Amino acid sequence: MFTWLETTSVATTVASSIAITASLSAIHLIGYTLATGGALAANLRLLGVLFRGRPAIEVVGPATRAIALGLTISLVTGVLLFSARASDASANGAFRLKMVLLIAAGVFHFTVSRGSAARASVSAQRARGAGAIGLALWLGLAVAACVFILLE
Amino acid sequence: MLAVLEWLENTRLAILIQESQYGFPFVVAVHILGLTVSVGTLLWVDLRMLGVALRGLRVSAVYRGLAPWFFAGFALMFVSGAALFTAFATSAFANLYFRLKLVALLLAGVNALVFHVVVAAKTSAKWDDAARPPAGVRIAGLTSIVLWAGVIVAGRMMSYTMFSYP
Repeated sequence: MFTWLETTSVATTVASSIAITASLSAIHLIGYTLATGGALAANLRLLGVLFRGRPAIEVVGPATRAIALGLTISLVTGVLLFSARASDASANGAFRLKMVLLIAAGVFHFTVSRGSAARASVSAQRARGAGAIGLALWLGLAVAACVFILLE
Repeated sequence: MLAVLEWLENTRLAILIQESQYGFPFVVAVHILGLTVSVGTLLWVDLRMLGVALRGLRVSAVYRGLAPWFFAGFALMFVSGAALFTAFATSAFANLYFRLKLVALLLAGVNALVFHVVVAAKTSAKWDDAARPPAGVRIAGLTSIVLWAGVIVAGRMMSYTMFSYP
């Protein structure tokens, strides 16, 4: 399947042009910064480090929108970049770890983190726990992404 | 100028980054994580200045809460960026995107400084708690976002055009 993906016209167009690859990579990094910046704001609020004076949802709400937009941008550009070297990337351990952490961080945010902020009944302790786990997942994702692009 | 750049490339730090197997990836990783923490958190100050997010908080509260994070991120980014520059000083200096990146970086700094010294210091009492601050404040926030996006894009283009790996 991955070798077939590499033969599609989209993949060959990306693979044949450094300018296209570099531009996609630049947009990919913008989406990543937006999503991870949102994750930092949301999880630091859940941890009680930032903006304690306001309800968590006032920070986690807009942060969730930033994460959704950032992930959308990164996913679209990421799929295009992946198509050009699908078989190499899919065999790469750091890339696989990056995908696992991406899914884990995304699912955790949109279920547990957002849920902890939305319900007033959630204890401060549980919110802090969610913030710590969320922060660890997003940090892990960032490190795996760096390892993938730099040591492949 | 060229002599200075060549001297930089022959310093021990530069040679360590050029020749050790993990030196270069490690410093680049620190650079990207610094970027994430600095621009990722500064963005929320800009969005607050634009009146887009965190409207229930004062602009000054958003700034003070996030300042330790973006200043720490900037420190990581500048130190790692300077280290990377020593290792590739001549090719970086000759690279168009590196120059564009420096210009955008400089303009982002000037924008922040002018905003702080000229605008915020004198008028912030009037709009600190406004959900939608006046046009000058919003323009400064938007300018910051555009310039930092420019720094990120130019940085990425630079690494593709300098080292020519796909």
